[in-house]
This record gives sequence, C-alpha cells and structure tokens, in this order.
Amino acid sequence: MSAISIIPERCTGCQSCEMVCSLSHEDSCSPAFSRIQIKKWEEISVFMPIVCQQCEKPPCITICPAGARKRVPETNAVVTDEKRCVGCKSCLYVCPYSAPTLHPLTKQTMTCDLCNGRPLCTQVCTTGALSYIPEGDLSTERKKVFGKVFLQAVRSI
Amino acid sequence: MMKGWTGKRLRIDLSLKKAWLENIPLKDLHQWLGGRGLNASFFSKHFQTPISPSSPENPIAFAVGPVTGTLAPCSGWTSIASFSPLSDPPVYSFTRMPGYFGASLKGAGFDQLILQGKANRPIYLWIDGGEVKFKEASHLWGKETTEATVTIQEENEDRSIEVLCIGPAGEKQIPFANVIHRLSWTGDYLGLGYLFGVKQLKAIAIRGKKEVTLHDPRQFLNLCLTLKDQIQKDRKMQKLKEGAKFSFLSREGEMMVKDGTGWPHTGAAKQWSTFLRNYLSSKEGCFSCPVHCGRNIQHQDSYFGGIHLEKAWYLGPQIGVYNGEWTLKLHRLCQSQGLDPFLASSLLAKIMGGSEYGPLSEEDLRQTENIEDQGEKAFAILQRIINGSRKEFHLEAPPVSKNKDIDVLADIISFCLIVVTHFNLKTASNMIDLIYAATGNSLSKEDLRDIVGNILQMESHLQNIELHISEGSSLGERQISKTLRREEHDNESIIHWTTS
Repeated sequence: MSAISIIPERCTGCQSCEMVCSLSHEDSCSPAFSRIQIKKWEEISVFMPIVCQQCEKPPCITICPAGARKRVPETNAVVTDEKRCVGCKSCLYVCPYSAPTLHPLTKQTMTCDLCNGRPLCTQVCTTGALSYIPEGDLSTERKKVFGKVFLQAVRSI
Repeated sequence: MMKGWTGKRLRIDLSLKKAWLENIPLKDLHQWLGGRGLNASFFSKHFQTPISPSSPENPIAFAVGPVTGTLAPCSGWTSIASFSPLSDPPVYSFTRMPGYFGASLKGAGFDQLILQGKANRPIYLWIDGGEVKFKEASHLWGKETTEATVTIQEENEDRSIEVLCIGPAGEKQIPFANVIHRLSWTGDYLGLGYLFGVKQLKAIAIRGKKEVTLHDPRQFLNLCLTLKDQIQKDRKMQKLKEGAKFSFLSREGEMMVKDGTGWPHTGAAKQWSTFLRNYLSSKEGCFSCPVHCGRNIQHQDSYFGGIHLEKAWYLGPQIGVYNGEWTLKLHRLCQSQGLDPFLASSLLAKIMGGSEYGPLSEEDLRQTENIEDQGEKAFAILQRIINGSRKEFHLEAPPVSKNKDIDVLADIISFCLIVVTHFNLKTASNMIDLIYAATGNSLSKEDLRDIVGNILQMESHLQNIELHISEGSSLGERQISKTLRREEHDNESIIHWTTS
C-alpha cells in the first residue's frame, strides 16, 4: 500500500524534493539525478511532482524483459535491479506516469525506493504536497483535502 | 575536481556573438567566497573606471555562491552587478535576485556569467549546459514578460527551462525597467531591464541539469536536513506558512516602514491588506526553500504570478494607494511590462506629490491631474511613462543598505536573507559548516569576518565611497562580532543530527 502521496495543488516547484533525492542517492545535487521530478507551468502556477506510485499491479515488472524490476518486500517499493537492467526503457514507456527516470550516467532506469521506509522528500516538503503514510490509505489524504474545500463551501452559504 | 563550485566563468560577447570559458582559480573562490565578492573582484580587476551604462562595453555580471543549486535552504539567489543607469555619473552597482536563476546557472556549469557587447538586432541567449546559442528574438520583441517566457520555453520544447527576460519597458530603455523570471522574481534597484534593452537582449534562457558535487555529501545532507527542520519549527516560520510575509502586516511597522515615516492610516492599511489577502492563492517559494514567503495572485479568474509583501506595499500604502484592486493592477503592470516596483513607486510618489514632472508631457499632466482615486491616478501616470518618450528621470538611488554584516554575509554566499535574519539560527556557524561540507574550504569565524570586510572595502573602492572603519561602522566591531561572540558561548553543534 505504501507510496508517496502527492497533492499537486500544494506544490510550488521549489525542487527541495529533487535536491534531497539526488543528494541522498547520488551524493550530488542535480534535478537530473533525482527519482522524483517536477513538471512546471509557471504561467498558470501549476506544478506537478512525478514519482513512482508503487502500483499494486506494476506493469513495469510484467514488461521488463531483463527481469530487473522487482518489489522490495520490506518497503513495498518497486525498484530496478542495477545488475539486471539493460536500459531498454520498457518500464518508462509502460508506466502510466512515465515515472522511471534514466540515470544520466548509467542510462539505466531509476525509481523511488522510498528511502528504506523514510522518504526524505516528504520530510523536506514544507508545503504538504508530498506525504508518506506507510500503513495508511493514500486516498484518505486527498479526501481530507477535498473535505476542507467542501467545508469551506458549506460555511460560505 | 572542484567541489561545490564549478570554477568556470562564462564570458559572452553579444557584439561578436562569441562565448568562451575562463577558469576561476580556487584561490579566488576561497578568497571571495561567493557571488557578490566574485562580481566585485571581477570589476575591480577589469573595470576600475566606470563605463557608461548605455555603452556596449558595459558588463553585466551574474554570479552564485558555494552552496547555490544544492539542497541548502533558499540557495537559489543570484548576485548581479553592473554600472547602473540609475546614477549619474555611472557607478558600480549590485543587487541580488531570489528565485531559481542562480541554481540553473550553477547547474549549467558556471559560477559566473559576464555579458558584454550589444547585439545588432534583438536576440535571446540559450544556455543549455555547456552550449551557448544566440537566438533570434525579433518575434519576442514587444511581448510582455509572461508571453516571452512561455514562448521561449515552448520554442525549445522544455518547460523546465528558466527564463530571465525583459518586458516592453526594458526594450524602450526606461531606466527603471527590470528583468523578471518565473513571472515573479526580479533583481531590483539596478535598472537591469534598461541594460538588457541597450544590448538588445530580450532574455537569457538556461537549462542547467549538471550535478553540483560536494566535498562531504553525507554531512551536507545532514546539515541541510537539520537546518530545514529548525526553520520549520521556528515560531515565525509557522506564521509565514499561514500568511506568507503578509502575516507580518498585523505587527505594526515591523518590516514595512523602512523610511521612518511610520504607519499611516492604520485602518485603511488594514483594509488594504484584507482585500489583498482575498486574492492570494497558492504559495510561492524560491529554489530549495522551506519558507515560501510569497503568494500567487488569482484575480478575477486570471493568474498574475507571484507577489511579495514589499512590492505590494510599495505599490500600495507607500504611495497612498489604499485600494487593493489598484495595487494589484499596478503590480501587474510592473510585472508584465518589466518595471522595478520599488523605483516605480518612488517615482510615482514624487510625481503625485508634485515634486517631479520630468517623464510626463503637459498633456499627460492635464489628463491625469484630476483623477481622484490615488490608485487610478498612479496607474494612469505609470502607463503614460511607459508609452511616453520622455526619459528624464530623477530616480532614487538604491537605499543605502544598513549593511548589517550578517546580511552582507548572506549576500556573499548567495543565501536567502529572510532565512538568515528572521530566524534565530546560528547563522555564521551554520554557514561555515555548510561551506565546509560543500567545498572543503575550512573557514574560521574570523576568516568570515575578514572576507566580509574585504568585500565591503573593495566595493566602496569601486564606488568611490569612503568606508569608515570606526566604532559603529558595519565592519568588524558590530553585528558580526556580536553574533560570533554569542555563538561562541553556545557550543551546541547541529552537525550531530541523526536519523533516529
């Protein structure tokens, strides 16, 4: 069940998540080395973090011809086995979010590994756009957001 | 391999359409520590004598600090320097710009960017990693800043590109024109829009995705996480989170009143801020920012870009505009045309106060003098200035920075001032730790104080101003020493951060 929950309307595109992801996984700072990627449309103030949602039926595992995509039972994260990955990009094409990123040096795909159960991006995100509830239901976060909108609407009548 | 820094200076000559690289020796980087110092040292090496801002040779320098483009909180700031059109005779001027531009510059592989020359027709610069292209910008000339930004991004098929551009005001070479990026961030008090306009440079577009390597990545990560954590827990941060800097409005005079005139018409100002708040939508923050001091404006179904309290204030109560609607319209006008809101405000105040008519024709004056609403009047005047042909302005020089040493320090390493000054963090020691983890440059607090002193001295030399190194001056014996002394008593180090 566990994955990183995203509430895009809270994202400001500050890239803290990209920086912490790149720094903690690759020991250097660059958006290109990050497993979470932000898309921006600043003229309408829309920012969208894209990160692996750790699908229940991951098409990337099914499609990977090298058997490199696998689920880590401890964290529930679906990751790429670097020893097996041949860089064919099948997982990238089959993913509904195109979440896998090509590592700029190895050219293998990389996705969110949930930082061994303590995702750092959710810790540095101060706007609440990213959150992590290991045992919970991801949809409750979004429901809470909608609840607030609804409450405001009711109150304003 | 250099850590933290890239050690490269990108030189661009717009006349020759030539770009080349220069190495910045590690010694210089250590000596000047960051953007502000690098720019000052470049100018004192090559441009001791002031150059006319309207001449092609006048350089514009952009530089970043040792932790720019990393996870360090609010490290996307850029130092900018040039000979400004706002002073006569021209004098070395510098400013700082928040946002994302600095991070992209570092990501493209440069610590410093120097622009010189003048294109023979409108162009924009496209910097993609190590590649520089001089691209045709005739189709962008005349476009407002938002449209120019989006057009450049779409032309290069990548919305992640950061664009720094001028609007029509800069093209018309209005001295208080400005550059803007991400529809919000500007480098003020320098007349950068004018300088871009003179060079026929519509925009600089950067795609910077190269990695910034670090001396001790693990320690750097821990430091940043701890700092971000401290900032988050800060009492003021909680307030900022709710209402951005607009939350400070309730506290009379805290940061608003810089000219000592006090807080006029408290009731009206309150109304003004309440009105404005209705139009604030989502948050806005700089690169790697845990604070998010800006807000976005959603006004009548159209999106306006970001707004920061100071700018709104200067286009509001500061010039007697208490109707928030007109503040938003003025802000929008400055943003889309590329005008410096602070200088526009000071000019408007003078014109409306009757002490300056320079930029307006008699017809303009006749048309605007009977408008009753201050906001409407200001808007009409500003529009006439933009569309008019008169360029005789008597603009305010940039406010003399109090040069609180700690502010200067933040400036020097291209770090966010709000984070540094508003939060009770052990700033100097944190900076030393961050710089060490990023670059391996081990500094003592005295080193830091000396660097601040040296840079101030170099700048005052460039500006031909005498710097008084006596009791009460900004050098040595004031803020920074006090801060350092205070920090010495407090031995708690933040490095011992654990994940437990």
